[in-house]
Amino acid sequence: MAEITRRHFLQAAALAAASIPLSRAIKVYAEEKKPDFVPKGSFEDTQSIAGGVCEMCFWRCQLVGKVRNGRLVKLEGNPKSIDNGKAICARGNAGIMLAYDANRLKYPMKNIGERGNPKWQRISWEEALDECGKRLKAVLDKYGPQGISMFPHGASAKYPMDFFETVVGTPNISEASFFQCRGVRDQAYLTTYGHTCDENVDMANAKVIFLTGSHLGENIHVSHTMSYLKGLENGAKLIVIDPRFSAAASKADIWIPIRPGTDTALLLAIMNHLITKGLYDKAFVQANCTGFEEFKKACSLWPAKKAAKECDVPEAQIIKIAELLAQNAPNVAIHPGRFSSWYGNDFQRIRALACLTALLGAYKVPGGFTNPISPKTGSIKWKDAAEPDEKINMAEKWPFHPPGTPTDAIRNAGITGKPYPIKATVIWGQNIVQTIPNQAMTIEFLKKQDFVLCVDVMPTDVTMYADILLPEPTYLERYDVIKKGGKLSTNGPDKQYIAARMPIVTPLHDVKDSIFITNEIAKRMGFERHIPVQNQEEYVNKILEPAGLSLEKLRAENGVHIEESTKKAYRNGNELEFETPSGKIELFSKELAEKGFAGAPAYTPPPKRPAGYAHLLFGRVPVHSFTRTQNNLWLHNEMPENALWINDKMAAKMGIKDGDRVKLVNQDGLTSATDTVVLVTPGIKTDAVFLPHGYGMRNPMLEIAKDKGMDDQSLCSANCVDPHTGTHGIRTNFVRLVKDGKTISFPI
Amino acid sequence: MPKQYAMIIDLNRCVGCHACAIACRAEWDVPVPNQRNWVKRLGPAQTSKGLSYTYYPGLCNHCKDPACVKVCPADVRSMTFTDKETGKTVTQEVAATWKDPFTGAVLIDKNHCIGCGMCVEACPYGARYLNEKLEKADKCTFCVERLEKGLEPACVQTCLAKARIFGDMNDSNSEVAQYIKKGAKGITSAAVNIGPNVYYYGKERDIELLFNKCAPQKMPQASVGERRKLLARMIKGVLPIA
Repeated sequence: MAEITRRHFLQAAALAAASIPLSRAIKVYAEEKKPDFVPKGSFEDTQSIAGGVCEMCFWRCQLVGKVRNGRLVKLEGNPKSIDNGKAICARGNAGIMLAYDANRLKYPMKNIGERGNPKWQRISWEEALDECGKRLKAVLDKYGPQGISMFPHGASAKYPMDFFETVVGTPNISEASFFQCRGVRDQAYLTTYGHTCDENVDMANAKVIFLTGSHLGENIHVSHTMSYLKGLENGAKLIVIDPRFSAAASKADIWIPIRPGTDTALLLAIMNHLITKGLYDKAFVQANCTGFEEFKKACSLWPAKKAAKECDVPEAQIIKIAELLAQNAPNVAIHPGRFSSWYGNDFQRIRALACLTALLGAYKVPGGFTNPISPKTGSIKWKDAAEPDEKINMAEKWPFHPPGTPTDAIRNAGITGKPYPIKATVIWGQNIVQTIPNQAMTIEFLKKQDFVLCVDVMPTDVTMYADILLPEPTYLERYDVIKKGGKLSTNGPDKQYIAARMPIVTPLHDVKDSIFITNEIAKRMGFERHIPVQNQEEYVNKILEPAGLSLEKLRAENGVHIEESTKKAYRNGNELEFETPSGKIELFSKELAEKGFAGAPAYTPPPKRPAGYAHLLFGRVPVHSFTRTQNNLWLHNEMPENALWINDKMAAKMGIKDGDRVKLVNQDGLTSATDTVVLVTPGIKTDAVFLPHGYGMRNPMLEIAKDKGMDDQSLCSANCVDPHTGTHGIRTNFVRLVKDGKTISFPI
Repeated sequence: MPKQYAMIIDLNRCVGCHACAIACRAEWDVPVPNQRNWVKRLGPAQTSKGLSYTYYPGLCNHCKDPACVKVCPADVRSMTFTDKETGKTVTQEVAATWKDPFTGAVLIDKNHCIGCGMCVEACPYGARYLNEKLEKADKCTFCVERLEKGLEPACVQTCLAKARIFGDMNDSNSEVAQYIKKGAKGITSAAVNIGPNVYYYGKERDIELLFNKCAPQKMPQASVGERRKLLARMIKGVLPIA
């Protein structure tokens, strides 16, 4: 029995003795409670610390922290920001729970068990760094720089990435942001326009916003979403192409539930209609584009009627979209997308988006493909740095690859030893087990290494495979990234801003920042003379210097420096220059054709869906980023598992009800380790299911996230690689349901 | 006219990002899994007006006729309220929770609250919770504490979509009043109609789905006997008598 306190006694006595009025007993109870029960709020007795830059995702909103007695109590948008302003998203608000996550990596550890089934032993930083230096050096001496690979992600991984690439000399660097996400998009725009794109199309000033497979509203980038909403507020028509009734589709004027993977055919049909009806911007195309005739021919392969059949979209809808775009050109935002590693035919699809933009003249105009101009800052170069030896570079097989080497080539080399062995791997902030398709191959690769180093803030599924596991400070406790950008104006000068990440609180635990860790490893590998900076502050100050700024100056400006742009991002007139081989926008690219690819956008159908299976579509929920946030108590509480969307007609035929629990089995016979809840909905094509990404983590160190929801990536065993870029196509997997141990096929 | 604070949720703007719910949790130290402020995701589902995929960003409705206030069994005291603008005062008999006569906000005196949970049970919207650690009822205050410092409610401040609009609905020039004029509605049903002051605005299909899924269909009823049971539950495990 618990201790009987006086107040409980009185209370119970009151209840027992009915003669004593209840209210009197309660009064005694209430008066006994002396502590202040009123929560203080974030504004009482707190200090506001500006200079934070969020990294709950990579949009990097500018923050202020409210700190009481050294403890962070709340994060808010920096009111000085012209980017996100006072707003931040759910993840940004929950950043506190990353800093105070009980399962954070707290000190260096050595795996004295096996990779994948680790037993962790705490070791000193000295021992950990000695071990890293010694073992990386051993691989370097025996196998050369190509014997090492690196998988970086996030701002803190940039400095060590540069070290491994330009000092150690390995080309085997694979960033998930390029090879499993947006690299294919960047390369397609680069090939077409001579410069890459980002997500900042000018939706705020658009008359039509055109989205293909977008996660707007489900992957929240604050200022990006604000721009989209501003456009809608101003009356922009919204067209959404998606097999799923997404958050964006729910706001759309026209939703096109397309057959998965057929988007390129639809885009070609739209462009064919614009050309054959003379609805495109002839003056712009004539002045700025090359290869129109070849391009026209390529589009003519997909008349609306044929595309309608291929895409499962009414022909009239295709024509309606084309005409709506033409009527509102050039103020139309053809969104290049963000996550683009879809079906392995992605380069050509995004080329089609880039060309559609050009056909409509929607380049550097209000509402069009107009990236704001960012201010210039510097960069840090390691001393006597050099590019890796071309002879050891596997990437050239994919002539349009983004920076680094395709993940697939690295993983194959690690497994087969061809064209050369890869024996040491450094994984910095990236969870390659849940990022790269075909988990079994990734695990085999990891097991074949002589040495695996992981550096992160939190345990993830890949950290189970580390030999040495090092803890970094969170983004709230360190200096690193410079966030910069611009803001377009239709009636005055554009604006630009620079913010640098500065700590809001002092680091908890025995963690070290990436500058320290990298320098110490460099010293131990014999590269001390190459070290360019001694600490985080020096690193950031050197990058700020060319902009006439420093950490001190930024602090004095409340964390954000804002200035007027000297140039306008919108174009003035029709005569433009492009840094492509032809100096024009390449509707047809000779370079592509010479290298054996379609020079004008061409449609390749996605892998055929086997009968009885559904396309496995995956995507985002607004409370999680990749596999980085699932153990965050506050975010987990918002959406503890990832509901699987199944079409209502299919579900009825399969005997599946809303709220049922199912596992999935894929085309290769792989079954998900965990089950999840079903969402029966008319909002998805009959031949597809949708599963939010990043759940079902297996690492027992994640006490909140472990086994919650289902890991989509565990079902993505098809290893589809875009031939132009070497980037993965990940939506090329198919699934059936497993309920109560019984496999249920889709009746299609 | 005295103020009636109100909140508009514009579902045409809301993207369902859940920032409001988390900002509130941080601001007021609300323990998981309790909530003063929540977002439920609705659909995609078919409605009579087409397919809808929308959200229920919910909070205390600061009702005109709050069911939670009536049931509070704490001792009644005399409390003087002051209108911050005119200096006018009103003295009323209140228990541990009341509706402020000058702002319409429904508030709790934590130091007076006995933590019995009666008000939690009485709210048809589930807008109150019992903080187990503090043994006190808790709920949205419309952030009146922040308003006093010239700050916006935490959920409003963090909303990237400007989907949450806060103000005085009795001021006909306020944005809130304008929204109500153009059709923003409190979530009610035939059985539950106690004058909620959080108003939802959106496409017909979204409002239809929201009301179908989220309008409470029953007023919770608590008898005197149930009050006793609640109190007994409070001390269960402490003494063998419960």
